[in-house]
Amino acid sequence: MLFLRLWNYLLGYLVIRVEGLSLERFINLTISKGIYMWDIDRYSYTAMTACINIYGFKRLKKIVRTTRCSVRILDKRGLPFVLNRFKHRKMLVIGLTVFLIIIYGLSSFIWIVEIEGAVKVSETELLQVLAKHGIMPGAYKRGLDTSTIANKVIIDMPGLWWVSIQIKGTKALVRVVETTNPPPMLDRSIPCNIVAAKDGIISEMVVLEGEPVVEVGETVRKGQLLVSGVIEDQETHAVRYVHAMAQVNARTWYEGNGTWKFNKAVTKRTGKKIEHKFLDLGKWVVELQKKEIPFKKYEVEEKRIPFIDQRGSIPIALIVREYYEVEELKSNTKLQDAKTKAYDMAYRSASKKVPENAKVVDKKVKYDIIENIEVKATVYLEAIEDIAVQQTIYN
Amino acid sequence: MKKRKLNQVKSTVSEMFELPKEITLNLPKISMIGNIQMLVENHKGIIEYTPQRIRLNSTIGVIRVQGANMNLKNIAVDDIMVTGEIKTVEFL
Repeated sequence: MLFLRLWNYLLGYLVIRVEGLSLERFINLTISKGIYMWDIDRYSYTAMTACINIYGFKRLKKIVRTTRCSVRILDKRGLPFVLNRFKHRKMLVIGLTVFLIIIYGLSSFIWIVEIEGAVKVSETELLQVLAKHGIMPGAYKRGLDTSTIANKVIIDMPGLWWVSIQIKGTKALVRVVETTNPPPMLDRSIPCNIVAAKDGIISEMVVLEGEPVVEVGETVRKGQLLVSGVIEDQETHAVRYVHAMAQVNARTWYEGNGTWKFNKAVTKRTGKKIEHKFLDLGKWVVELQKKEIPFKKYEVEEKRIPFIDQRGSIPIALIVREYYEVEELKSNTKLQDAKTKAYDMAYRSASKKVPENAKVVDKKVKYDIIENIEVKATVYLEAIEDIAVQQTIYN
Repeated sequence: MKKRKLNQVKSTVSEMFELPKEITLNLPKISMIGNIQMLVENHKGIIEYTPQRIRLNSTIGVIRVQGANMNLKNIAVDDIMVTGEIKTVEFL
């Protein structure tokens, strides 16, 4: 039924009014001629309305004559009549087709190149290589052989193992896998010692090759010999040179300082803010909203929100300036607050010095307080790290 | 007498082979949805149609449908769909 309705709508149908005395005969004749009618409603003895398709209506003439009815069209429905209306609105049709052509045209270009997986390889370099082989914003996307381009990119960029280029709509998604460097080869023929890289107390020693000179618990200075690569046989006194290898974990200390002065002016945001928006069109900057800043004292934060593209190939960006109202606080900070603030600063500066492979195991804080002037905090971080460094023996 | 016998044979045969009787015996098939819709297949034309009363011709005589606000939803060569409020269906 739905299909039939749809079909009738596509072909177009008429709502007609039939008036006459022998309407039953009219209906029977249309049926026998194979003319399809639906939604017949008889609202008075001599009149009824019905729906009929265009083709059927043309064949009605003979029946109308024989049954002496009169037929009038009440309404024309369906797609052909809707389309007919567009005949008088040429510009609308032209606009519609132009719009469709523009949409189709614009969608057949690449507008965004997105890179996934590039960490060590610089994205700009990768983009340049891609552009050389035809993948860039504004490139025509049809007829691009993505797999050969991917192969060419791999050849051009030695830092990549695998490249896949997928074109999704107007976006080219480039996924790469970077090469990982093979572990460095150990040249075990070169004899060497192991010395300390830092001051510290040795907490653990694992000697793979060579003769340990120091013991666990010993304090070592930077540059001190830890494991010797020179082995002397006790009986024959023959000297043998080896490539010493060891892991020497030691406790090391890092220090950080932080001072908090009481008379420093403190500002605090009140929570009120105003946004001022500009549109950056490359050469011109257009102010979107005119606003005056009602704050006496304020801080400004500026953000650039690029339009469509992150890399700014389209030079349009929205600049949002946020003005935060601030108020100055009287420096009545308590000693405890000052202490924590000084501590925070000291801790941050100390933890910056700790290398990545070290593990912090303990921390100590010391405060130097000058009453009402400043609080100075010193943080000592105790860490465990490998301090073994190889040093070649020259003889 | 002869015709009745023939019909009886047809009826038994169609029951035996589970054939649709409206085709073998040439009878109208009436299917109704509640009292709001009625589909008559294998009819032989309309005798009368008013919103209160519809009379249809068929092989077993006139089918009279009475009700209110009745429309002919669909009309084809051998089926008619009546919608509206149906009150009685009679075979005359």
